[in-house]
Amino acid sequence: MAPVSMPSALRYELLAKCSVTKARAATLHLPHGPVPLPIFMPVATQASLKGLTPEQLEEAGCRLCLNNTYHLGLKPGQATLDAIGGAHKFQSWPHNILTADADVSFQMVSLLKLAKVTEEGVRFLSPHDGTPMLLTPEHSISLQNSIGSDIIMQLDDVIATTSPDLARMTEAMERSVRWLDRCIKAHKYPERQNLFCIIQGGLDLDLRRRCTAEMVARDTPGIAIGGLSGGEAKDAYCKVVDTCTGLLPEKKPRYVMGVGYPEDLVVSVALGADMFDCVWPTRTARFGNAITARGVLNLRNAAYAEDFSPIEEGCQCVCCRSLDEGGLGITRAYIYHVTAKETAGAHLLTIHNVQYQLNLMKQVRQAIIDDRYPTFLKDFFAKLYDDKSKYPQWAVDALKGVGVDLLVD
Amino acid sequence: MTEALSASKLADLPPEMLDFTLLKPAGALVPRLGRLSIPGRRTLLTPDFLGNTSRGAIPHISQDNFGKTGLDGVYIALEDFIEKHPQKTPPIFKLDTPDPLRRFTALPKDTIFVLGARRQPPIPSANANTNSEIGILTSVGFQVISSEYYAAAARKLQPDIVVGLADIPFGQPTVGLKRKDKMSDRTETWTRDIIAKRSTIDKSEPRFNIFAPILPIAKEVQSWYLEHLLDDMVDKISGVAIYDSHLLDELPEELQHLPRLSFDNPSSPHELLRQVGLGMDLFTVPFVTDATDAGIALDFTFPVPQKTNGTERRSLGMDMWKSEHTESVTPLTDGCKCYACSKHHRAYIQHLLSAKEMLGWVLIQFHNHEILDAFFAGVRNSIDKGTFEQDVATFEAFYEPKLPEKTGQGPRVRGYQFKAQDHGKSTKRNPKAYKSLQVPLNAFHGQQPNPNPDVRDVIDDDALVGLVGMEHVDPTEQLEGLKIEDDRS
Repeated sequence: MAPVSMPSALRYELLAKCSVTKARAATLHLPHGPVPLPIFMPVATQASLKGLTPEQLEEAGCRLCLNNTYHLGLKPGQATLDAIGGAHKFQSWPHNILTADADVSFQMVSLLKLAKVTEEGVRFLSPHDGTPMLLTPEHSISLQNSIGSDIIMQLDDVIATTSPDLARMTEAMERSVRWLDRCIKAHKYPERQNLFCIIQGGLDLDLRRRCTAEMVARDTPGIAIGGLSGGEAKDAYCKVVDTCTGLLPEKKPRYVMGVGYPEDLVVSVALGADMFDCVWPTRTARFGNAITARGVLNLRNAAYAEDFSPIEEGCQCVCCRSLDEGGLGITRAYIYHVTAKETAGAHLLTIHNVQYQLNLMKQVRQAIIDDRYPTFLKDFFAKLYDDKSKYPQWAVDALKGVGVDLLVD
Repeated sequence: MTEALSASKLADLPPEMLDFTLLKPAGALVPRLGRLSIPGRRTLLTPDFLGNTSRGAIPHISQDNFGKTGLDGVYIALEDFIEKHPQKTPPIFKLDTPDPLRRFTALPKDTIFVLGARRQPPIPSANANTNSEIGILTSVGFQVISSEYYAAAARKLQPDIVVGLADIPFGQPTVGLKRKDKMSDRTETWTRDIIAKRSTIDKSEPRFNIFAPILPIAKEVQSWYLEHLLDDMVDKISGVAIYDSHLLDELPEELQHLPRLSFDNPSSPHELLRQVGLGMDLFTVPFVTDATDAGIALDFTFPVPQKTNGTERRSLGMDMWKSEHTESVTPLTDGCKCYACSKHHRAYIQHLLSAKEMLGWVLIQFHNHEILDAFFAGVRNSIDKGTFEQDVATFEAFYEPKLPEKTGQGPRVRGYQFKAQDHGKSTKRNPKAYKSLQVPLNAFHGQQPNPNPDVRDVIDDDALVGLVGMEHVDPTEQLEGLKIEDDRS
């Protein structure tokens, strides 16, 4: 298929580039308002962010969240979405939504035995109930058109990056390109919904380069790097991101799917990526884990039973702010008291974790604008690990590749 | 006029003193209007209800959302905070700050705190009460606390109101006369005890107000206790906690002026009205959260709505699990001012329940609290206008007598939320979250949910932390088994 230029419903406004690394700061103008880049997008899989009201999510500063195409297709279903007029109205969320089939990808990766990919689409058993399902690129786009999300994702053929089968990997990559063409053709509202392609190719950098070239030629409003975050070695992950961003046009947003650990975020930004999503921060909150600049604290540990300090000193979330600062003054001891016992405990920690992630990206963005991102990276790792010897080697290597030596002050 | 009078009177009171003014003074067994004021706290106009907390939170309501419930006061159970007792000092007693219970639970400064020993409704403890201790249930198991411990806890935690310990053998099907004498004796001792302990609190320290328990036994059987309460304790207590609303009939004249907190847990709005009609002032209403957990959006007003169609009795609530709501963009109740109704619609709430998203319960909980809040406002207005009796009759004829049966699953049940007798039963309290997939891989177009509801809702990652699924547990039935036999006959 001949590459055609497609309409775009977004505007990428580049604000600053790091003079050392490949990090960029920008504002992405989307149909439901501008969002700052780089950005972390919380995942409201089933049109709800784990117990938080959309208003609480808004108060945490979120202006772009994820819904899952496939989950919304099951519940409430396309007919309901059409009747109600899309996901924004459905969940009373006035800001932007990105829909992805991330879960299907994940299931394809993790439950390959149960999934069968043909040129037509993906046949698999619903993990909800074992119902056989067929998902085609046309289905996926039609559903996302009904959802009305601001950013929609192509259906892609994902296999585990760790798969040794190069022939299958090549097939998946090539098929993803063909499916992109089908998605572009099926997309009914390019003037108000932005279709992102998803670069595949596993950990094979040649495949990734070929895929990137093919997809860039399709000129989608934004570009995602997919198939990662599935258990591959971190240094291999970094090489893929670095390789792809090196081949991407400057004026388009770059979304690395399924990434959310704080150190992965700051390194990926240095490698030139702009957008990230992950269920980890909100899922881990429900296990009593609080994300802080000094690492993850499991507040279900008895050590916190009598710890009357805030979840994280200085955090600006409504839980951590003191009464004098207009917050709740929630203590670690109270989280210990309610976590996994009352749903409200999960809600409190979810608020904190979402705020942590959003605030981290806010600081990242400001550091890029001030052109001090390398210093920011050094401070970040120095806080997270009490000793340089504990720095993860992959992060040290990846950042060295873009001109930042974490081990030198 | 009464406003001005009470305000000036209030200013003369010591800081923590509770003032209860009967706005519509009445004789025995008639509904009454009152105003309960504690300096620095919100004023409760009675009849009204308290938020029934679990581990310091209104179930499903994170503290930043507490204001959206419209609650003026909360009931808190000490047993929710003392897991480590007696092996270790429970953490909350180590919080070194003024007003530690409020600070720990992060509830607003002006919310009235009422502390009791047991959750409402209490789950029968395996530990029998003794002369000096009562059996409780913490989240890690059965425990006992002494009267002395309770008084010390009250002093440390600084609630506004403390309900005295009562010796009630919860879960015991019948109680003999001797045991009842003991109930009366022990309760008297414990009431004296907490009054004495409070009197030792330094004037500069915050002092809690005491509500004395009235036992669920005939007046004659607790007559010694009641007499002594009148003789030398009545001016030390600020209210009574009544375990059996029928006792209102026999409440001594000298206790009439005190606010009455009901521990005779109502199972329906009709039951609330019955108790209000007998002169009850304050309630914890466990059926609010029970309805929320069952996915039932309460739907009743008092007095009943003016315009009515049809003659069929209306349901007291709407089962939000039902698929008839899936495309409905109307609020839960038309004109309802609650957060859920002003921001969201039925279709979303139905979806949240069916997807086992915790937000479903959050939104219904806001709504159910608002319905109760408006209900009590209507009750007060009706008493004020003198139409209460007729309004109750109309209400009873208009609505079904019981809340609808629940059909859907609620959040996962915790050990401290169900009765001990359920242990060892063969039925699962929480359904299995995962099951193996054994369906053949056939071609199938379209993405319809499985029509079989049994398997449709099986998986959810929340199962990992235990926030889904409730089966075969009805917390209300726990206390229904409690019958105290009247030995008079």
